[in-house]
Amino acid sequence: MTTAPPAAFSEDRALELAIARVLTLGTYVSVALLVVGTLLLFAAGQSPLDPAPVLSPAALLSDVVALRPAGLIWLGLIGSIATPAARVLAALVGYVRLGDRVMAGVALAILVVIAAGVASGTLAS
Amino acid sequence: MEVGLLMLGAGVAAGVFGSLLGLGGGTLIVPLLTLAFGLPVREAVGVSLVCVIMTSGASAAVYLEREVANLRLGMVLELFTATGAVVGGAIAFLLDEHLLAGLFTVMLVYVSVSMARQRQAAEKAPAIPSDEATNATPTDAPSEPPPAATRATTAVGRLSGPGYTVRRLRFGAAGSVFAGILSALLGIGGGIVKVPLMHLAMGVPLRIATATSNLMMGITASTSAIVYLARGGIDPFVAAPTAVGVFLGASVGSRMAHRIDVRILRWLFVVVLLYTAFQMARRALGIA
Repeated sequence: MTTAPPAAFSEDRALELAIARVLTLGTYVSVALLVVGTLLLFAAGQSPLDPAPVLSPAALLSDVVALRPAGLIWLGLIGSIATPAARVLAALVGYVRLGDRVMAGVALAILVVIAAGVASGTLAS
Repeated sequence: MEVGLLMLGAGVAAGVFGSLLGLGGGTLIVPLLTLAFGLPVREAVGVSLVCVIMTSGASAAVYLEREVANLRLGMVLELFTATGAVVGGAIAFLLDEHLLAGLFTVMLVYVSVSMARQRQAAEKAPAIPSDEATNATPTDAPSEPPPAATRATTAVGRLSGPGYTVRRLRFGAAGSVFAGILSALLGIGGGIVKVPLMHLAMGVPLRIATATSNLMMGITASTSAIVYLARGGIDPFVAAPTAVGVFLGASVGSRMAHRIDVRILRWLFVVVLLYTAFQMARRALGIA
């Protein structure tokens, strides 16, 4: 006879599984974009050591739609870099739902630090 | 295209060996890109951070599914690694290229010595990984869940897990800031600091410390990578084939791990890392 785990333990487990799904999805979608982008880069005869276009949010969508290597590669890179932050966002939502204010605060603080990283990099560039 | 295929192949090799030996992507990718392809160290670090995120993402998911990683502890500590990463990202763009190469040389020598000592101690006790595991699909994680346990009601108590109690949280937080700074400066996941910190100083079992470090690596490296991205420090054309190669290599390596006797490979790798450290030292001194 097994004892049912406490409710809070089960809810933590559900959150961990949800976060695992976010990580898996984000990683594999990013890898897929990078694979296609790399193949297009090779097909175009371009060398990775050629000067690469800078990231332009305005041109990103049109580059992706036109299947330009740079667009797909930038989208894959942004996806991979954003996946851990998406995992923290999922944790924030989960801990708010669980009523765990301490962990929700920790998740929020991590997102604030990430935003500070974006701000410091952007301001310095 | 030849250069692209070579980068892809280099990424695959780094992923396979990194996965077999428990090394992070940065330890291998930065010297490869710098010494073999002539990239500046800072640019190689930016690419390496992307590789670290990619390999950590899939493996961290598996560790969470198998209940090996401690999510709560990982999130608390990654608040500090992320802070360190922002600081380190800012410092990295102020440092001279030669100094970065010098720091990397020190790290390579440290990892080589750690691996050599692991080799000697391997027969007697489970070794402490010299850096974060990069297995895309970990095969060494226990598949059975831990016994159902009641959770402590205090905030700090809830960071502990079944069978262990987390201690010295403040020390862990300070060490995590240092791990974040190193990650941003050298393009590594920071496992060389985080795993011993959690295991030896905070009382976390080695396997859980390794898995939790792997989970934390994503946030640590992505915070560093965001700073590099915003400052134009990531070359997309180099990053794409390298990251795809590392991801594929880590997946293959994790499947090979249980079939290969890594003791000889580890010894060989100590020599390779020391040779790489010598080459990086020459670059640091401006004679390469």
